[in-house]
Amino acid sequence: MSRASNISKIIGPQNLEKLRSTKCLLIGAGGIGSELLKDLILMEFGEIHIVDLDTIDLSNLNRQFLFRQRDIKQPKSTTAVKAVQGFNNSKLVPYEGNIMDTTQFPLHWFGSFDIIFNALDNLAARRYVNKMSQFLQVPLLESGTSGFDGYMQPIIPTETECFDCTKKETPKTFPVCTIRSTPSQPIHCIVWAKNFLFAQLFAADITNDADDETKDWGTTDEEEIKRIKQETNELQELQNIILSGDNSQIPKIIEKIFIHDIEKLLKIDNLWKTRTKPVPLTESQIKTDLTDRDMDLSTVWPIADQIQKLSSITNKLMTRMKAENNHIEFDKDDEDTLEFVATAANIRSQIFHIPMKSVFDIKQTAGNIIPAIATTNAIVAGLSALVSLRVLSLLNYAKISKPTELNMVFTAKASNISQNRYLTNPTLAPPNCNCPVCSRVVRGVMKIPRNLFGELKLKDLVSILAEKYSFDSEELSVLDTTGHRLLSDFDFDSLDEKTLEEIKIIPGTLLLITDETENDDGTCLKPLELYIDEIASDDGKMSDISLPDMKIPLTKITSTTEEDNKPVEDVVPQNNGETIVLDLEDEDDEKVKKRKFAGADGDDALSKKSKSDNEIEIIEEDDIIALD
Amino acid sequence: MTASDSNKLSADEIALYDRQIRLWGMAAQANMRSARVLLVNIGSIGTEVAKNVVLSGIGNLYVLDEHVVREEDLGCQFLLTKGDVGAQRAQACLPRLQDLNPRVNLQVDCAALSSKPREFFQGFDLIVATELRSEEITALNKISRALGIPIYVAGSNGLFSYIFVDLIQFESTEEKLKSGRSTECGHVSSNREVIDVQVRHDEDDPKKVYEKITTRNSYKPFHELLQSATLQDKLTRRQAKRVNNVLPLTVSCLTQHPGSLKDLQRNVVQTCNDLHITAENLKPEYIEQFYTQLGIEFAPVAAIIGGAVAQDVINILGKKASPLNNFLVFDGITLEMPIYEF
Repeated sequence: MSRASNISKIIGPQNLEKLRSTKCLLIGAGGIGSELLKDLILMEFGEIHIVDLDTIDLSNLNRQFLFRQRDIKQPKSTTAVKAVQGFNNSKLVPYEGNIMDTTQFPLHWFGSFDIIFNALDNLAARRYVNKMSQFLQVPLLESGTSGFDGYMQPIIPTETECFDCTKKETPKTFPVCTIRSTPSQPIHCIVWAKNFLFAQLFAADITNDADDETKDWGTTDEEEIKRIKQETNELQELQNIILSGDNSQIPKIIEKIFIHDIEKLLKIDNLWKTRTKPVPLTESQIKTDLTDRDMDLSTVWPIADQIQKLSSITNKLMTRMKAENNHIEFDKDDEDTLEFVATAANIRSQIFHIPMKSVFDIKQTAGNIIPAIATTNAIVAGLSALVSLRVLSLLNYAKISKPTELNMVFTAKASNISQNRYLTNPTLAPPNCNCPVCSRVVRGVMKIPRNLFGELKLKDLVSILAEKYSFDSEELSVLDTTGHRLLSDFDFDSLDEKTLEEIKIIPGTLLLITDETENDDGTCLKPLELYIDEIASDDGKMSDISLPDMKIPLTKITSTTEEDNKPVEDVVPQNNGETIVLDLEDEDDEKVKKRKFAGADGDDALSKKSKSDNEIEIIEEDDIIALD
Repeated sequence: MTASDSNKLSADEIALYDRQIRLWGMAAQANMRSARVLLVNIGSIGTEVAKNVVLSGIGNLYVLDEHVVREEDLGCQFLLTKGDVGAQRAQACLPRLQDLNPRVNLQVDCAALSSKPREFFQGFDLIVATELRSEEITALNKISRALGIPIYVAGSNGLFSYIFVDLIQFESTEEKLKSGRSTECGHVSSNREVIDVQVRHDEDDPKKVYEKITTRNSYKPFHELLQSATLQDKLTRRQAKRVNNVLPLTVSCLTQHPGSLKDLQRNVVQTCNDLHITAENLKPEYIEQFYTQLGIEFAPVAAIIGGAVAQDVINILGKKASPLNNFLVFDGITLEMPIYEF
């Protein structure tokens, strides 16, 4: 009996040979990725390419079984490949990098795989890979877990629902005034401490927010808006104290935030008609002791300890500011920043009669930590590996006549959905005809000789497209969906004379071309999404530019809301967990407005059906604090 | 170490187990540390169970396995390498298993299960057994019952697999967000009875109300379960028609190991009758492929079954979620995994 005798009995010797010549892409070497790598190796997949941008952290070791304490800070992909050598029989190729990096991973590279396994932890990368699989028609096995909850979904482009066919849960939002003036839950105080107080004192660029007039304050109370504005100015004064490095002023900072600001709030009668009034700290509670003491992070400390700790941590951070270029970002694993946010949030909670929390608990909320365990990851990875046999038609007695016969899976028992089923296994649905990713656009690759990127102007590109696909060049709008920039439309033509290079249309750029000219029957041409690729030639001519031969189908102009019409990829990843949110409606020069926010950084963010109270993703967009 | 120290997690442990403590809490994590678990056989499912409980920080794991590593084990066990063929399996797995989590107290034993006297089992809080024949399950279950030790048994037939659970009687308390109607005490199914309900208001958000529900789970021993297993009066007619083929085939093979395909074809019709379900759905080629895969281990299936068993072990040690009750089958084709209460 050989190593492969079991799998051979299950799928037959011929299919085993097919499996051994199958080349698969595994994106993610974390919780699900470690498990999948093991399963795919034991199943005798011929070639496994594994991509991950992350390094190993202590908190990974409770589930990412290929990693050890000694591997901490090492890259996940290469460490995983080394760890499996003892039982490996496949060709393994590790990559350290971001899957959305078009230089390292161009579209045609994705095209070299027979099947893609997603083992990702964020929405942005999931959406991106989904799109690549749609471009190339490569089957994608999508999966995710969050605590006890997990799911696995095969995606067969054009045949079954894609990742974006179902709406992903949108973040919960809090109005500014809840955070700034009337908190009622610990989360409100944590968001205040992290996104307002900490950010303002340690991470703010010293500039004035100009667009006060257009700001959504979440209240129309003039008096309160005035107070918030004034408070912001005063926070800047506090930042100056921090920058001065004079630690004798620390009590003054605490007094200002937890006595004077609260007293000002108390003067706005409207706020307290139906609410219990906050009780500011008293001056006698604020001490000048700056000794840093070790505290138990898993218990809730008395208020005096919270105040003392906040003073000593502020002192520490003040000292650090000088060494760190006057800029410290909040990082849940940076204990000083975490303890600052935790103690400030707790003191505010106390003032507003809200229960205080342990540093351990606040870390979860402030750091967007998603619980993750070995078992759910093992189950979901096993399901993904198993279904690949049917997707690749390797189970002779369970051949499918159409991809919609395949099953997707959700955890049921562990997620408290059912007592009679461990898993729920609905068959796949066909694509959603309103899906902005797989149904409402057509796709193709545009290949341009390398030398022409510096010569070809945007207007040339527009006319080439208009001619090829019978678009009305006057009505055409060109949007760079990678960088979220509007490049050209009927009343914006200032970039038309620029070359592609100048406006950063480079290999890997995704362009969305729309011509919404309405026909008599209420139809228009479907939007076209183009992946810009290069032809490796240095003397290419215009005639060498290649575009897919197709007729752009018509689509009914639907009366969808503004929100629905926005491309789904409103939120695009920048790098490792950081994301840019932009507002396409903005009329300023760059046509975009960027705001940074922290993405989910826990393991395996479950986006499909997140329902746990623990999954929290804090997003800041137009001063609305959003929670997932 | 004093008694109070032993219940408190160290800062290192909290950092290492951070992502799971956030799910099941410090107390459950501390409970796991004092648990003593016996794993019988470290094949593909056994390896998966061992990996999961060791990573999660179980206190003590004792692996009993008399088998010698065969070439085909390498195709379904990630703790073994080529050089291990011919060696004692438990011994070969030990260093790599220990490396997964040095905090766990691991012991291996290459003696035969049948050689172990009843007293041997007394020291364990819980038994997980895999790759056993029906007679062995029955014998082990007899001991576990007599000593009052919860037992999980799992086995695999290629793409298909099963889990049998006998916790004798087990009370679990779980907290759920209260939906419209209040939960009342009483039987919710033949083996489960709600015996206590406490209401708790969320301290952060007073609008949220939780119910802390204590359920008493009763179980049957293995041989009794096989003899009395029926779906009569448990399913609607429509459900009865759609019972997964894996159930009668698995129950049939456990009741009487088929010596030939013909045996299985004959036996399974009898099993369908006993279960009160139709045998019409059983196509000859389906029975044939099941027969070909009898007793075969397969890595992805082992990962799913080993994951489900380990999760339940962790749950009952932490006394958190309501445990499995009492027979599961898994169909690796449709990915269906029904739970039957027999």
